[in-house]
Amino acid sequence: MEMTGLQYGSRLLKYVDFPCAEVLGPEATEDEINALLARCGSVFVKPIFKGGVGKKGRSGLVGRANDLKAALREKERLYFAEHRVAHRVVKAQGVTFEGAVPATIEVYFSVMDSTQYRAPAMTLTHMGGVDIEELEQKHIAQVPFEALTGLKAFVVANALSDIDAPKEIISPLVQHLPKLWELMHHYGLTTLELNPIRMQPGPAGRLTPVACDFKCGFDRDDPRWQRLGLPDYLFAADTSDFEHEVNQLRTHQGQSDVFVINDTGTILAPTFGGGANSLVTEVLGEAAIISSDFGGNPPYEKMKEVARICYKHWLKQANVLFIIGGKSNNTDIYETFRAMGDALREHFSQQGPTPIYVVVGRGGPSLVRGMGALAEVCDSLNLPYRFFGFDSAISEVVNYAKKIDAWMRAEGRAVIAEKLGLKRSP
Amino acid sequence: MFKKGIEGFPYYLGVNSLADVARREDRVCVLNILGGESRQVTPISHAFSGGNVVFGTSPGRQGQVLTTAIGDIPVYDNVRAGLDAGLRFNTGVVYLPPSAVRDGVAELIRVNPDLTKIVMITEKSSVHDAREIRALGQTNGIDIFGANCLGMADSWNRVRIGGALGGDNPEEVLLKGSIAIFSNSGGFTTTIAQYLATEGWGTTTLISSGKDVYIHYAARDFAHALKNDDRTRAAVLYAEPGGYYEQDVDFGKPVVACVVGRWKSKLTRAVGHAGAMAGSGDRAEDKERWFMESFGVEGIFTPEEPVASARGAVVTNIAHIPAALTAVMKLDGATPDFEPRGSLALKPWIANDQGLKLPRHLALPTIEAIAPYNRQIKALGQQIGAVIPRQTMKDRSGASLMDPKTQLTYVHGHSVLDLALEPLEANFALPLVHEIASENDRAMLDIAVAAEMNLVGDAALAAADAAREAGNSPNTVMAAAASIIGPRRIDRALRCSKTLIDLFAHSGLLDARDESFDTTAIKADHKTWAMFMATAAEADDPRPEAMLKAARDRGGRSLFLTFLQSRDGRPSRDAILAAISTTIAWGPLMRKRISRLTAETLPWYLRLYGVMIGASIPAKYHQRGSLCGIPREERFGKWTMAEFLFLALTGKKPTETEARPLQILIGLLISNGPGSISAQGAKGAVSADGPQTPDRVQINKAMVGFLTHCGYSHGGNGFEGMAFLLEQFKHVVLKDPADPNHGVDLKAMTTRFAEAYREDKSHAKEAGLAEPRALPGVHHPIFKGKPINHDPRERFIAEFIGKRGDYNVFHAFYRELVKALYDVGASPYVFCVNVDAVIAALLLALLWKDYRAGILADKDLETAAFNLFLYGRMIGAAAEIDDHLNRGRNMDTRTPLEQCGFVV
Repeated sequence: MEMTGLQYGSRLLKYVDFPCAEVLGPEATEDEINALLARCGSVFVKPIFKGGVGKKGRSGLVGRANDLKAALREKERLYFAEHRVAHRVVKAQGVTFEGAVPATIEVYFSVMDSTQYRAPAMTLTHMGGVDIEELEQKHIAQVPFEALTGLKAFVVANALSDIDAPKEIISPLVQHLPKLWELMHHYGLTTLELNPIRMQPGPAGRLTPVACDFKCGFDRDDPRWQRLGLPDYLFAADTSDFEHEVNQLRTHQGQSDVFVINDTGTILAPTFGGGANSLVTEVLGEAAIISSDFGGNPPYEKMKEVARICYKHWLKQANVLFIIGGKSNNTDIYETFRAMGDALREHFSQQGPTPIYVVVGRGGPSLVRGMGALAEVCDSLNLPYRFFGFDSAISEVVNYAKKIDAWMRAEGRAVIAEKLGLKRSP
Repeated sequence: MFKKGIEGFPYYLGVNSLADVARREDRVCVLNILGGESRQVTPISHAFSGGNVVFGTSPGRQGQVLTTAIGDIPVYDNVRAGLDAGLRFNTGVVYLPPSAVRDGVAELIRVNPDLTKIVMITEKSSVHDAREIRALGQTNGIDIFGANCLGMADSWNRVRIGGALGGDNPEEVLLKGSIAIFSNSGGFTTTIAQYLATEGWGTTTLISSGKDVYIHYAARDFAHALKNDDRTRAAVLYAEPGGYYEQDVDFGKPVVACVVGRWKSKLTRAVGHAGAMAGSGDRAEDKERWFMESFGVEGIFTPEEPVASARGAVVTNIAHIPAALTAVMKLDGATPDFEPRGSLALKPWIANDQGLKLPRHLALPTIEAIAPYNRQIKALGQQIGAVIPRQTMKDRSGASLMDPKTQLTYVHGHSVLDLALEPLEANFALPLVHEIASENDRAMLDIAVAAEMNLVGDAALAAADAAREAGNSPNTVMAAAASIIGPRRIDRALRCSKTLIDLFAHSGLLDARDESFDTTAIKADHKTWAMFMATAAEADDPRPEAMLKAARDRGGRSLFLTFLQSRDGRPSRDAILAAISTTIAWGPLMRKRISRLTAETLPWYLRLYGVMIGASIPAKYHQRGSLCGIPREERFGKWTMAEFLFLALTGKKPTETEARPLQILIGLLISNGPGSISAQGAKGAVSADGPQTPDRVQINKAMVGFLTHCGYSHGGNGFEGMAFLLEQFKHVVLKDPADPNHGVDLKAMTTRFAEAYREDKSHAKEAGLAEPRALPGVHHPIFKGKPINHDPRERFIAEFIGKRGDYNVFHAFYRELVKALYDVGASPYVFCVNVDAVIAALLLALLWKDYRAGILADKDLETAAFNLFLYGRMIGAAAEIDDHLNRGRNMDTRTPLEQCGFVV
């Protein structure tokens, strides 16, 4: 869950009273834009992307305008702009108009949890406005600090001294940057990055740090971010109906995030355990429809509901229903298999049969009872199956599922369809 | 700020050796000990570890205990209460919900000065809390493990602390050896230990580290303890992408590192500076490189390319860990801890290809599982047949389904259109075996039904004829006969069937046609054989011999018939019926397509089929040794179901061209889904007897339920279409309805009718009267609205008939009629010819010659149409009865009071 841009970033910064560039949303009227131009001299027009999308400036997706005509032209250009970041293509949903902030010094600031220090750490440089990776290390301060005491003024002051920051920025930053820890720690953020913070001179020459861009990540396991009152659609980027529906069931009792790998895949693999998930995803590759981890001993009702949603969205296109995990430590196999079997039976009752082959690789408490319950369902639905115990290498079972998938594509699907009475539809 | 721990670390670390991670003398307090997960896991850990849990907490439950195999663990409201009670511990285990974890950790530290370790099992606790927990542990000098982990275990010390490493049977996995395991995945911690045993490697300490942003006990800490543990010769480390925990770590001993997640990291990588700062450089590829540099190897170890050094190897597949470890250790001259146990080869434990022929490389035979799973699987095998969960079956069916779009009904997955093309024997068997019966089984079914049809001397015939003479409808006549075939009339056949299943259930017999199957191990006692054999009172019954001869004449194969004849004596008709029904049921029963209950009750259905069809033939045609003049031997030995039914309808044997339309007609009539009145009657009858006590359900009464829920509007209306056609063809000279050169001007006929119909409609409208009655066989509420409309069921049959070169003038009349109605403006578009028209046309064509010859009167045609419906629908009714018997609950067809209404 990530968020970029000042449209909502400015609102968050207001919570901790951190100065921010003036910003208008896509609904801004011409009068409002004109007024912003009058106050700031020029405006930056930036496309709004949901989620965490960076490198806009480098991709030519930030426009600057000195008059209304130019601002509207940039709006038209960027309103539905497409942006390719690594393997992802995202589409803009509107633009913001952000007032220009006059400054000669730009600061980069971020705070996040460092796995090197096992503590929160601040990254700071007075040579901001560029990609941080491009700077020499001597200009960058990366400083861990105590989570219980937080980001204190002296931490900022020490860091700025270490990188020989200009004296005139030290006091304003020492005064303002610690506020950002309040935002980070008390509102469920995992990362916060402001780049650039432009050091705007005031009437008396004193500089004020003004945030001109905003990026942050939220911890979905921390309910504190819900205090911010952000609209749900902000986090709906790249979330399919399936992901939205199934991730509603995500609780601390099993089930990590479930997401779609390939919506044209042919192996539906409810996977148990994080390790198994990594391995299965790795070996199945494009054949996998979803990536999931349903471990953690989910109760029957929850597992059945999860299975119901998976079947509803994907079973029709699947060749193989592949239930896979290592030897579970605690997850009750009977409960989970019974739930998945019952959901399968109900799916067939409601949606009609579909030709699939069922492959299972699993170990754990009540294993044989679980396999027996699932076998009963497969038998009653006339579905072929092969169940492997935990003494078969999990990777070999995954490869077996892939071979079954290949056979299903070649002929198996048609053969099973005929057996299920699906050969003719008048 | 951190408390000083082990020298040389810029943070607090207390555990100096892996031997100290989980010690036998560690005393444990479990927070939320009565929570769902702890309640299952803690008793096993406690028993395995010799009773290391001192007490647990669960607010408001003080005084309760958690029962374990070695004694109860006391429960207190909070940690302080347990300490106040004089209990002492050094290790806290946290099973609290995520929002309570931080406070639980703080409380453990606050109130217990003896505390040295905390294990956090809980997953999905927030990063916010993890930051503070880290700080709390560092400030107070506590080693914290997790979170989101399964704790740790020690195979030497036989201790498990926290989570469920080793599952519900730790002894099975925690085998004493020389390898330590540190894993980001809890599941794989156990799996890796199990895999290692296949190369003869046992374990020392196993740590499930968790995979949150904060790994409180991380690889660097593990490496230090590894170096100081004399028991451990090498380690396996399982790592996933994210975090720098493994970078630049000096392990000091050989390590096999498994890094998995290249593909996954491609999908989950965050984008943008903040994400990049947190994520760049710690992908799976990066971690592989860190380890390769650390071990001095230049590639990934695979069985094909075993790249390894004495310092270690990197794998990306956990199945390669054992071989990689052996290779690494071999370079150091080290040998495994014990003889290899098992292998990781593919071993299917349970499989069923449902009769499909898979390619050889996929059709892996099942392999006996390791103990104790092999015994459990064997016990599963004792359960033969499908087990179907019970549920409320009101208005629901597991046997039939009508597609609302196509109006097509499916019975056990087969559309009635497909069934219309199947032999009738297959259709009559379908409700009971849930699949299309083989040729052998069809022959068996012919014999079974033939043996029940002639009711001479039977009370069932007397009842049927009495009902007929009293002016009842054909369904009522059938119901009278079915009522007589109550439980006592079938008791012995059912007992024989049950006994045969008992005798052969675990014999290994898969195909009942296999008469060469060795039955010497099948032991039936004297009492059983007495049950199989005919009694003295049955000495005059010629049917047993006739049935056995018929089976031989038809080339039918049945191990059960062979078995019955393996003893001197004369098998009874009931035993033969049971042997036939068990032959038919055996394959589906073994493949778990049907339940044992279905297989055991099959003789009742077969007997009812015969009696119900027989009852539709007036009593005078039932004679000793013959039915409608057809001798027993011929009927038993040669006749098919289509011929029986034609005989019942017309008193004659059909030609092949007459048998085929009859087969199609009956196929089409099998079912209209569970909502039809006849199905409701059958289901209600089962529900009222109570399917949860299946022995009390009277299947004949359920058939009566079906029959009493048929009538002149449902079943008898099949005559409407025929009556309409008779009226249209009343003055037409037509010798053979199947002759396309009939010489009848259908276009002129239909145009005349359509014009008259249009006039009637117009007059009715002008006079404000109701429109003329809808034309039977024309139009359908679903298939309408297009310029030209078709009922797909009618099209299917028409195409089938057309392909065979068959012709039916009545059907052709209907096709012309719908066009004429449109042409003259009597319909807004070309109505469809519906499936009822096809039924009327086919049946009338069958009976036309006798009708025109005066052999059959209008009333006879009506009776024939009604009986035809009953023959088809008895198949569907059998399917619903069997389904409801297997799935339903007692009285589940009741309508809740709030859905009932009162009308004045």
